[in-house]
Amino acid sequence: MGRRLAGTRWLAAALGAALVLAGCGGGDEAAGGKVTLRFTWWGSDGRHTITQKVIDAFEAEHPNIEIKGEYGDWTGYWDKLSTQVAANDAPDIIQMDEQYIREYAGRGALLDLAKYDVNLDGFDASVAKAGEFDGGLYGVVNGVNAPVVLANPQLFQKAGVKLPDDKTWTWDDYTRIATELTAKSAKGVWGSQSFGSDPAALKIWLRQRGADLYTADGKLGFSAEQLAEFFDQVKQLRDAKAIPTAELIEENAGATVNQSGSATGKYAMGFWNSNQLAQVSEAAGQEFKLLRFPSLTGKPKDAQEYYKASQFWSASARTKHPEEVGQFIDFLANSDKAAQLLLSERGTQPNKKLREATASKLSPTDQVINRFISDLAPDLGAPTPPVPVGLGGAGFPLGESTGEVLFGRLSSLDAARKLIDEANNNME
Amino acid sequence: MRTKAILKHTALILVALVMLYPLLWMIVSSLRPDDLIFRAPGLWLRDLHVANYTDGWNALSQPFGRYLLNSAVVVLGAIIGNLVSCSLAAYSFARLEYRGRRIFFGIMLATLMLPFHVVVVPQYVLFSELGWTNTFLPLIVPKFLATDAFFVFLMVQFIRGLPRELDEAAVMDGAGHVRIFGQILLPLMVPALATTAIFTFIWTWNDFFSALIYLTSPDLYTVPVALRAFIDAQGSSSWGSLFAMSIVSLLPVFVAFLFGQRYLLRGIATTGLK
Amino acid sequence: MAYTRRNAKAGYLFLAPWLIGLVVITIGPMLASLYLSFTDYNLIQAPQWIGLANFTEMLHDEKLHNSLKVTFVYVAVSVPLQLVVALATALLLDRGMRGLAFYRSIFYLPSLLGSSVAIAVLWKQIFGTAGLVNQLLELVGIEGPGWVSNPDTALGTIILLHVWTFGSPMIIFLAGLRQIPRTYYEAAQVDGAGKVRQFFSITLPLLSSIVFFNLILQLIGAFQSFTQAFIVSGGSGGPAGSTTFFTLYLYQEGFGKFDMGYASAMAWLLMIIIGLFTAINFLGAKYWVFHEN
Repeated sequence: MGRRLAGTRWLAAALGAALVLAGCGGGDEAAGGKVTLRFTWWGSDGRHTITQKVIDAFEAEHPNIEIKGEYGDWTGYWDKLSTQVAANDAPDIIQMDEQYIREYAGRGALLDLAKYDVNLDGFDASVAKAGEFDGGLYGVVNGVNAPVVLANPQLFQKAGVKLPDDKTWTWDDYTRIATELTAKSAKGVWGSQSFGSDPAALKIWLRQRGADLYTADGKLGFSAEQLAEFFDQVKQLRDAKAIPTAELIEENAGATVNQSGSATGKYAMGFWNSNQLAQVSEAAGQEFKLLRFPSLTGKPKDAQEYYKASQFWSASARTKHPEEVGQFIDFLANSDKAAQLLLSERGTQPNKKLREATASKLSPTDQVINRFISDLAPDLGAPTPPVPVGLGGAGFPLGESTGEVLFGRLSSLDAARKLIDEANNNME
Repeated sequence: MRTKAILKHTALILVALVMLYPLLWMIVSSLRPDDLIFRAPGLWLRDLHVANYTDGWNALSQPFGRYLLNSAVVVLGAIIGNLVSCSLAAYSFARLEYRGRRIFFGIMLATLMLPFHVVVVPQYVLFSELGWTNTFLPLIVPKFLATDAFFVFLMVQFIRGLPRELDEAAVMDGAGHVRIFGQILLPLMVPALATTAIFTFIWTWNDFFSALIYLTSPDLYTVPVALRAFIDAQGSSSWGSLFAMSIVSLLPVFVAFLFGQRYLLRGIATTGLK
Repeated sequence: MAYTRRNAKAGYLFLAPWLIGLVVITIGPMLASLYLSFTDYNLIQAPQWIGLANFTEMLHDEKLHNSLKVTFVYVAVSVPLQLVVALATALLLDRGMRGLAFYRSIFYLPSLLGSSVAIAVLWKQIFGTAGLVNQLLELVGIEGPGWVSNPDTALGTIILLHVWTFGSPMIIFLAGLRQIPRTYYEAAQVDGAGKVRQFFSITLPLLSSIVFFNLILQLIGAFQSFTQAFIVSGGSGGPAGSTTFFTLYLYQEGFGKFDMGYASAMAWLLMIIIGLFTAINFLGAKYWVFHEN
């Protein structure tokens, strides 16, 4: 009897410990009429420091609002965000990517910011509307980018190849230059990175042929034949050794800036976003040159370049304090204080006045980017529709299809048909 | 005999080198400036870039020691929880007779079989309803409720390997289950308990996903979550700091293992049982 | 009789923490995922009941069939390989040797590194086109492939990565070996049994319950293998789908494409497969696993 009691007691103690631990928990809501907002972003340590300073600046102006920053790396960020949204526990302010914005907005997870005081008057017209679709404003652009080619002048020089005039160069020029670079460079150096797995490159490639990656009403904007032609061109470039082998391409997929072929001096030309010039140059230990995409005709306008939102500020549709969220996003977008801190870490300032106001504070490299973006304005093609619901993230596995073509597992046309089938399936 | 021993050691040392290579590479990388990590080949270091350690320690919103401490708290809770709850359950499964035991055992195994990605969301909803998100509770409390079926099963197998005569002799002496469990079986299970403790330590210390999902405030981040904050897939990454802090966070695990493995040696042989 | 009744009560009491955990924490989410497997659920909007549609879709999903194939190959090769390596090392490191603790710790190191981001980087440094392995091969005049990025060899490197972390089963084997009374060996030596016979007549039978444990858990673990493929391919399952493990595909569907209904259905399919394999092993265990009763 006594023994049994002892046993029971022991179990009770074990459970008690668990319950006591549980008792320590509970929410930590801020007290006293203060509004607390959760704000989440992805990035590395440098961004965290800057963003925290912006939060401090906002809190100093708005003592009744407290902003709690939450941050993490890219992959984990989306796993966490989708889990939190599913559990109705999403942060109030969310750093968004163009890949996912319609995914979330289209399913009612994002707040229509048009109803709150977020002023977009000073923004570049061609990019202000990037967060506007399906009858609402679901994200405020926080940086402007353009898809670019980054050239390594040192490798050009070593190979004795001249840098092209990027306003007039054509795809034929590109092929010739890349092939020549590989031939005249040391072993292991390639004329160009492959653009075969890069949706932005495919997009420009299609736009130059009168198509686009997506249509405004959220469908695919190209045919299987057009995609097959794209695969064929990648294959030809590979066969000409203008771009690396399929194995090397695969190895470089998903590499961070530091690991990339551009940064490690293996690719004389690489495909990037304009704001990455600074990071690539820093990682490579030398200054790279920004080039526009080649065109079919050699006319600047026919390159069909476009401004791309590097990121958005979005908000949860379920936030309890939409007014305060609006105030904070407006601060991020329009306040001089925020701009002086954020500078161009997330991409070139979309607000033209602030772009000028911060210009002198930028590093020389960032000033180059700034100028490049401004110079591009007269030659831009039409704005491009956002990624449809279902195709964000893993919904459009271009790299996988290109791999199947390059490894000879599928013909270009079969791979194109398969990818289109899969994409259409994912959009349902 | 002598040459045989030398051969054996040579082979072992060769294997050891293969096993060690990654660690050496990490140490070397942690002492290189960011822009050289992926460009400089091999293990040769020209000079020591110690700044990765000081920079990395202070790069995030809290000094890195804070994340080490957070991880330590979670690990300690998890170890205690697993040792207590899993050994109790294992004794029940391995030695006691009652209705439903086989079914429960089957269910326990089944809980191991469902890929965790699909229970993440429902589990998150559960802990969120309890108001436990952004605390360590979702990472610790389940361990007190023997949800790590791996260890329950491990201990069941160990207890089954222990001679039944031990219990029967104790029953003859009038011992109850608490005494049989606590005074006879537990001491014999030290290797299994040590295994549980070591594995719990390492797996919890390295666990990224649960910590990522449940801890939102950076002040509560555990080591693996904090480490990821050094890299950005699209932007600039502090690889040097990442490797430096990886080495720092490896130290406690390695020490724990060095210390804990001594208990793996304590079997029947050393407890004097004949 | 009295003994049995007391036995039952004690049984439930000792099981209580597990039972509570089962009811409160484990069963709910499991049933929820079962329910979701019959729905169209995109994580954001409420799930819609669609009956067996997810399961019938699996019949036509070529990517899923490919991922099953990849997973089966992985399980069939990596599980026996890792167990043999782990057991052999454990026997070698068991007793009577200098520097035991040192070797044990070194051999366990790769398991400590676990799934850290550093491993992903490292693996490319070793098995990349210009990696350590190819540098060594170059010395003897062979130009090796890009091991991690060639569809023919990528799965092989992941199997190697798995075998390389044989530390955990090794530890469990070591702990099991310690439980075998030395007196048995002494008696066998007196009878003139050699090392090989001792292994087969004493070590293996007495270790069989631990071998069984390792086998079952390695099997379950290998079927669910995710992290290694995820970090090596950066989550893509590439090159050309050659490392798209079942759970990696499941994760892509659930979190990458917001199709948690389909992912849940996949999870239950996997559970049934693992359950079958486990059941077969439990049935087979009667013939080779030795219990002390």
